[in-house]
Amino acid sequence: MSDPDAPVVLIVEDEPDVAETYNLWLRDDYEVRMAQNGDEALDMLDEDVDVVLLDRMMPGLSGDEVLSRIRDSGFECRVAMVTAVEPDFDILEMGFDSYLTKPIRSEQLHETVGNLLERSEYDGLLQEYYSLVEKQATLEATKSSAELAESEEYADLTDRINELQDDLSQTLGGIEDDEDFIATLRGLGNGDEH
Amino acid sequence: MYDLTNVLDIEALESVRPGSNILISGPAMTGKDDLAYEILADGTRQGQGAVIVSTGDRADNVIANFRDRTGTDAVRLGVVDCVSDSANDGSGDGIYVHHVSSPGDLTGIGIGITKALEGLHESGAQQGRLALSSLSTMLTYTDRKTVFKFCHVLSSRLDAAGYLGLFTIDSAAHDEQTLQVIKQAFDGMIEVREQGGTRQARVVGLTSSPSEWVEV
Repeated sequence: MSDPDAPVVLIVEDEPDVAETYNLWLRDDYEVRMAQNGDEALDMLDEDVDVVLLDRMMPGLSGDEVLSRIRDSGFECRVAMVTAVEPDFDILEMGFDSYLTKPIRSEQLHETVGNLLERSEYDGLLQEYYSLVEKQATLEATKSSAELAESEEYADLTDRINELQDDLSQTLGGIEDDEDFIATLRGLGNGDEH
Repeated sequence: MYDLTNVLDIEALESVRPGSNILISGPAMTGKDDLAYEILADGTRQGQGAVIVSTGDRADNVIANFRDRTGTDAVRLGVVDCVSDSANDGSGDGIYVHHVSSPGDLTGIGIGITKALEGLHESGAQQGRLALSSLSTMLTYTDRKTVFKFCHVLSSRLDAAGYLGLFTIDSAAHDEQTLQVIKQAFDGMIEVREQGGTRQARVVGLTSSPSEWVEV
């Protein structure tokens, strides 16, 4: 993948064959990095990484430990746990954004990575939406309604807010899914402080 | 559509679209919670589900009060309790309780709501109403930006579920700009006030101009 804007996926998997399979599936659409264990994964982690696929059962640092260090690092990546058993909400309560149950098919992998990237997009839109709503409230508090009616800035702001509302309702299917809902809420507290 | 005119006789509340989220705003002691819970009880009398997210009252009190209000034990009610740390989450008799460590634990509140919606759906409630009391308490735990985003995301989730959402806020506890920002996360607002010894309410935002004030 030579596109410098391609999202970056970090695969953390101790079995080389499995990691290589994921790489083959993903490399046409993403920049792929591969780590064989938790320590390597933490070395390869930087602000460019968008999605981490994290095997839960690895020698050395466990997936859970790696997750907590990723969260402590402050990088805003999304982490999907790769596991052999079908988990439940507990996974979300533990702080993972999603999970994949082995064996994974190409389609599932693409779907999960795509969904996690869409969540990041949603977070970005929501952040922008908030900034504009705050700006709008400031204008409304400091200007008279006559001034607002004449303000081009205010009109542009209102248009952009309406556009963002539409974009938000179309991203992630309007948060129809429980997993999207919980993961989005968890993302609210972290990361985007100004 | 949800018809709320049994509780508040205002035309704008005659057919409220499923997925609408309404802010109930007014100073302290004007009956905001009462109004929200009465709207939920009205739904219960029609066989709908109810979810209460409480930042000020323990689940057992919430359940007892709600049963009193509806006059029946046969309620379908989910409670997200952000106050008591009792470990006995669980369900039974159409009641689903989830405890959350604090009103600032948004993920926990989300999980509680999800579980309540799931339980109510399985119990056969196709429609329902959710009340969150109060945003003012949440704003003491979390900043305005986070509460705004929380409201937006929760609104989307309730919209997908076809629920009606009611969120109370103490208008005297926050500056004008905060209210203005939070308002933007909702489809409309019921304003309540006390005037000459009576409680009054009006609807703003669901129709093009505010309704008249009516006695509650």
